[in-house]
Amino acid sequence: MSRAGGAGVRGDRVSRADGAGVRRDRVSAVRVAPRTALVLILASLAAAVTFAWPLFTPVRPESTARTGEAPLIFLVLLPVLVALVLAELTSGGIDSKALAMLGVLAAVNAALRPLGAGTAGIETVFFLLVLAGRVFGPGFGFLLGSTSLFASALLTAGVGPWLPFQMLAASWIGLGAGLLPSRLRGRAETAVLAGYGLFAAYGYGLLMNLWFWPFGTGADTQLSYLPGAPLTENLHRFAVFTAVTSTFGWDTGRAVTTAVAIVVVGPAVLVALRRAARRAAFDAPVTFAAAPAGGPDPVRRPTVDGPGPGRRSAGFPPSTGA
Amino acid sequence: MSGPTVARSPAVTRARLPRVLHPGAWWWWALGLATAASRTGNPLLLALLVAAAALVVTRRRGDAPWALAFRMYLLLGAVVVATRVLFRVVLGGGQGEHVLLRLPEIPLPAWAAGIRLFGPVAVEQVLGGLYDGLRLATMLVCLGAANALANPKRLLKAVPGALYAVGTAVVVALSVAPQLVESVQRVRRARRLRGAGGRRMRLLHGVALPVLADALDRSLALAAAMDSRGYGRTAAVPAGARALTGALVLAGLVGVCAGTYGLLDATSPGYLGLPMLVTGLVTAVAGMLLAGRRVHRSRYRPDRWRLPELLVAGCGVLAAGLTTLAVDVHPVLLHPPVSPPTWPELSPLTVAAVAVAVVPAWLAPPPPSAPAAVAHPSVPVGGPR
Repeated sequence: MSRAGGAGVRGDRVSRADGAGVRRDRVSAVRVAPRTALVLILASLAAAVTFAWPLFTPVRPESTARTGEAPLIFLVLLPVLVALVLAELTSGGIDSKALAMLGVLAAVNAALRPLGAGTAGIETVFFLLVLAGRVFGPGFGFLLGSTSLFASALLTAGVGPWLPFQMLAASWIGLGAGLLPSRLRGRAETAVLAGYGLFAAYGYGLLMNLWFWPFGTGADTQLSYLPGAPLTENLHRFAVFTAVTSTFGWDTGRAVTTAVAIVVVGPAVLVALRRAARRAAFDAPVTFAAAPAGGPDPVRRPTVDGPGPGRRSAGFPPSTGA
Repeated sequence: MSGPTVARSPAVTRARLPRVLHPGAWWWWALGLATAASRTGNPLLLALLVAAAALVVTRRRGDAPWALAFRMYLLLGAVVVATRVLFRVVLGGGQGEHVLLRLPEIPLPAWAAGIRLFGPVAVEQVLGGLYDGLRLATMLVCLGAANALANPKRLLKAVPGALYAVGTAVVVALSVAPQLVESVQRVRRARRLRGAGGRRMRLLHGVALPVLADALDRSLALAAAMDSRGYGRTAAVPAGARALTGALVLAGLVGVCAGTYGLLDATSPGYLGLPMLVTGLVTAVAGMLLAGRRVHRSRYRPDRWRLPELLVAGCGVLAAGLTTLAVDVHPVLLHPPVSPPTWPELSPLTVAAVAVAVVPAWLAPPPPSAPAAVAHPSVPVGGPR
C-alpha cells in the first residue's frame, strides 16, 4: 500500500505542475467535448434499447408478425451506433501518445483474455480496463473497452454479431471507471475500484445475458420474453433465465477474478500507469521553438511545456510496427 | 489450397492469378448469405447454405490463423441448435399434438415465475426449436465464413476516414500483442540471470509488472516514432464544417432514439418507428462520413474493387434477393409447417439461390499459398506458378 501512497503524492505533484490555472486531479488522455458527451449519451440511450428491447416489445399485429426481424434490426443498428461514438470521440484529433497507449493497452488486454478463456468464469480483461479508465479518464476508458475487445476478437478470430454488444458493454465499464470520484487515493481507492470491478463484472454478465436472451431461448418457451406483457413479468422471466444460466457460475467467477486482481495487483499497476501518464504529459500544449543558434541540434523540434523530461528520452526506434 | 487449375492452365488471365480478394467483397457475400438464411426456416435450404459457405471456405481460404476459425463457428452453430432444442424440451410447456415422450413434470415455486420443467415433449416443439436454431446457426456460420476468408488487417485499412484513429489503435494492438511474448521471455531471462526464484507472488511482481512497464514504455517510444512520421495529426477543419457534421450526427441520433422508441411503443404512429430509425441512422452516418472526408490520407497499396470482387459481392446480394423473392412467391415452402409436421420442400428459386451462393468457390481468385505471401499479404500477385 505504501507504493500506492507514493503514486498519490506524485499524482498531486503532476496536478500542480501542469495545471495552468486548471484544477486537474488526473489526466484525461482523450478529451471529451460537450458535443461528444451529448453524442455519447444519445447513442448510449439508443444502444440501451438494443440490449433491453425484449422487456418492452409491444403486442401489435404487424409487430408480432415481424418478431423474427426485430432482433435483426437491432443487430444492424448497434454496430453503427458504436462506430458513430468512436468516430465522434476521436474526431477532435487524438494525440498520438494516447493512440499508442490505447493500442498497447488493448494489446495487453487482448493477450490477457485467452488466459482465462479455458477456465470457467475466470475473466482477466476487466481489471486492467478499470484501472486504465481510472488513470487515463472516461474518454480513454471508453475507447480502450472497444479496441480491447475488437483486437482480441481479431486475434482469436471471434468476430460475430455479439462483438458490438461486448464492445459497448466493455466501453461503458471503462467510461464508468473514468468517472469515479477522483480524490480517492491509497486503500480507499483500491477498495472503491474493487467494488466497481465487482459491479461492472456482474453488470457485463447481465447485459450480455439480456442481449442473448431472445436468441438463446427462442420465442415460445416459458422463459422467453412475452410481447406485450408488463415490464415486471418480463423482468421476472429474465431474472430466472439469467440466474439459471450464468449468475452463479460465470458471472460470479468473473466478478471475483476482477475484484481479486484489482486488490492484489491494482496498486502496483496504478503506479505503473500513472508513471506512464506523467511521462506522456497528455495535457501539455506542444509548442515549436527555434533551436538556439549554433546548438548541437539545428533541427526544429517540438518541446513540451510542463513535466515531460522522460518524453524525449523515449527515443525514436526505427520501426515499431504501426 | 494453391489453385491447381490456375497452375495447369498456360494462359492465365490476370484475374485468375492467386491473390487476396478485397475483404469487403467476402463480407458482402457472407452478409448476403446470412440475409438469405434469415428469411427462411427451411432446414433443407439452410443446410444447403451452410454447405455452400463451407465449400467456398475450403476452396478459397488462405492459411492465416483466422482462416482456421471456421471449424469453431460450425461448432458454435451446433451448440446454438442444441441449446434451442434443449430449451424447448426443458421449458417448452408442452404445446403440440404429436407427443414423442412424456417426461416427469417438475413444477417450480412461484419466485421462479411459476414455470414447469420437462413434461410432455411434442414433435412440433422440437421441430420448431430445431428450425429456429438452424436459422440462427446458419447465419453464424455465414459470418464465420467471412471471418475465415477476409483478412482483418486489410479490412482495417479500408475503414472510413472518421474511424481512422481507432483503426490505427487496433492495428497497433495487433502488432504489439506478439511482442508481449518476447517481452515476457526477456524479463524472465533477466530474472534467471540475477538468480531469482519462481515463487508465485514474486512471479507477479517480478514478471507481470515489468512486462506491463515495458509495454507502457514501448507505447511512448511508439508515439514518438508516430509523431515523427506524421501520424495522429489532423488538418484544420473550418468551424462551419465542424458545426454541420456535428449537427448532422446529433440530429441523426435524436432520430434514432425517437425511432427505437416508436418501434417499441404500440401507441405511437407508424412513421415514428422504422422509417424514423432509418432516416436518423442515415443522417448520422452521413455526418460521420462527411467528417471523415475532410481529412485526406494516402494509403499504401490500397485494395481495389476489381471484377472478381464485384462478382463475389454480387453473388451474395443475388442469393439474398432470390431467397427473398422465393419467400414472397411460396411462403409455405420456405417456412415448412411443423403442425402437422411435413417434409420440407425446395423450389427452383431457392435452388438457384444456393447455386449462386456457391459460385465464388470458382469465381474468386485462389489465395496465395506460399508462407511469404501470407506474412506480407500486400503482395498482390504472389504464389507459385
